Amino acid sequence: MTRPASSQKAIVSSMRIMLTRWIVTGILVILAVVTLYPLIFTVINSMKTRAAYSADPLGFFTDLTFDNYIETFQRMQVPRLLLNSLITTAGGLVLSTVAALFIAYAVTKLKMRGGNYIFLFIIAMLVIPSQVIIYPLYETILDLGFGGTYQGLILAYAAFGLPLGTYLLSAYFRAIPDELIEAARLDGAGDIRILFSILLPISTPAIAALSILNFVWMWNDLLLPLVIMGGSDKKTLMVGVALLSGQYDVSIPLISAGLIIALAPVIVVYMLFQRQILSGAIAGAVR
Amino acid sequence: MAELANLASRPNRAEVARRPFIRRETLIALLFVLPGLALAILFKLVPLLRGIWLSFLETRGFEDPTFAGLANYRTMLSDPSVHDSFRNALIAFATLPVWIILPLVLAFLLFQKTPGWKFFRAAFFLPYIIAPIVVGIMFRQILAPDGPLNAVLRAIGLAPLAIEWLNGPTSALLALTAVALWSFFGLGVLTYLSGLSTVSEEVVEAAKLDGARFWQLLVYIIMPLLKSVIGYWAVLCTSGILIWMFPLIYALTKGGPGTATVLPEFLVFTTTFQFLDRGLGAAIGMALFVFVALVSAFVVRRMYIEGSQRK
Repeated sequence: MTRPASSQKAIVSSMRIMLTRWIVTGILVILAVVTLYPLIFTVINSMKTRAAYSADPLGFFTDLTFDNYIETFQRMQVPRLLLNSLITTAGGLVLSTVAALFIAYAVTKLKMRGGNYIFLFIIAMLVIPSQVIIYPLYETILDLGFGGTYQGLILAYAAFGLPLGTYLLSAYFRAIPDELIEAARLDGAGDIRILFSILLPISTPAIAALSILNFVWMWNDLLLPLVIMGGSDKKTLMVGVALLSGQYDVSIPLISAGLIIALAPVIVVYMLFQRQILSGAIAGAVR
Repeated sequence: MAELANLASRPNRAEVARRPFIRRETLIALLFVLPGLALAILFKLVPLLRGIWLSFLETRGFEDPTFAGLANYRTMLSDPSVHDSFRNALIAFATLPVWIILPLVLAFLLFQKTPGWKFFRAAFFLPYIIAPIVVGIMFRQILAPDGPLNAVLRAIGLAPLAIEWLNGPTSALLALTAVALWSFFGLGVLTYLSGLSTVSEEVVEAAKLDGARFWQLLVYIIMPLLKSVIGYWAVLCTSGILIWMFPLIYALTKGGPGTATVLPEFLVFTTTFQFLDRGLGAAIGMALFVFVALVSAFVVRRMYIEGSQRK
């Protein structure tokens, strides 16, 4: 008597597990649609003609066109803005990483007195966001003669990327045994050589995580380039998109093409480094 | 001009270091920390000090500023748009439980290796890497009166809900917060997942064998284990609502209708650059700074404890 009952119970419970699994998958699918749909919608719109869009704004495209991309390229001066974004992002990224490398090396490996205080001072700068000091920051950059220049934005990016970089690299350097450095020193290596030809290669994972994080925020940032570059021809792609969307004669297919152009580089980076980004190195890094 | 004096004194310190009784290592260490210190001081500390000074000045358009004591702070305290902006921030904070719980539930589902979890993880994180300004412009179309959202609502028989989202004071703030959540929750999922990776699967399996349901597992086993990750994520969301909304507001509503979606950081920007009242803008910035600093001090404290030299 007990056997059929227990097997029935097993069937019921396995059915319940199946059902929950389906419900869970269903919820996850709906959420994935919610996250992906706005992108798909924008891609579709960017390939519609103006007439096709006003006839059916929500539908799939009837005849595919790339005219919006061509027009956006000219109106937004995409090659120029792309170059501006690349220069400022790369500059900010490299400068903040190099500055962070030097500080991390000094406070973890050079046994400098007060090193902890310097470390604390740098990471404490995290509490000063650009939004609350935006005008005085702009004034300072003007006073230094960097208003509307690449250097101005690069230096600001470097300063704002520094606290996290210093923290990440210091944590990484600390895990590297001091014996390695002593051995190199006995071989006659100087500090610069130790830092760049021994510690740097070992820290590639940390630098990769840091670079991805910095690339994403510097490329995507609006406030700093908007204020520092204004409407000059050195403005970044994000400022260009923001200004384009403010013009009243811009059609939705046109602005959609601009959006896709602006986010394409980040999507490429995401696809290339998906494994590193999603493996938790980055979320773990920020933590 | 205290900040200029501060700047001028910097090279002196390096000169002091050059005196022979200082060890060579100390000199090298000083040289190494110099570029970073210069960046932090020039572009963070100095602007902050200048901001504090500026908040005590009376600035009218392009005229020379004059010292005005606490006048800007008094104006700020009686300015209805300042009140509105902080009230709006409070309303946005009321949605924090969703910001904290939703990614946790999703991360826990993915952690249990639900079929397709890798795809879902990649999909959920995608919005986070898209520039907020792009997100904002995209959602202006999605939320338009004849946009896809309202089309879906009408199609599933919820036509009364198909409103002009960005035109009603409450719905606009709600929409802004929801769009921010859309672009941000994926980072939460990843953060929780990296926290969960330290939880042994045996603990979860054992609890399951004991007949624990999903919610029981989550509330009694996972949440206590992830207390510090949840705390960290809550801090991140709080500062996100305070200082990461600028591009979204800029693209979606420009603060409107009225002041319904003006958050303090946006008010700093408009007061400074549109109404050209830099003194008042600086004062509002300082008020915002106090809140941001209080919140992010937790993160800094934790980073310091983890990253400083143990003796």
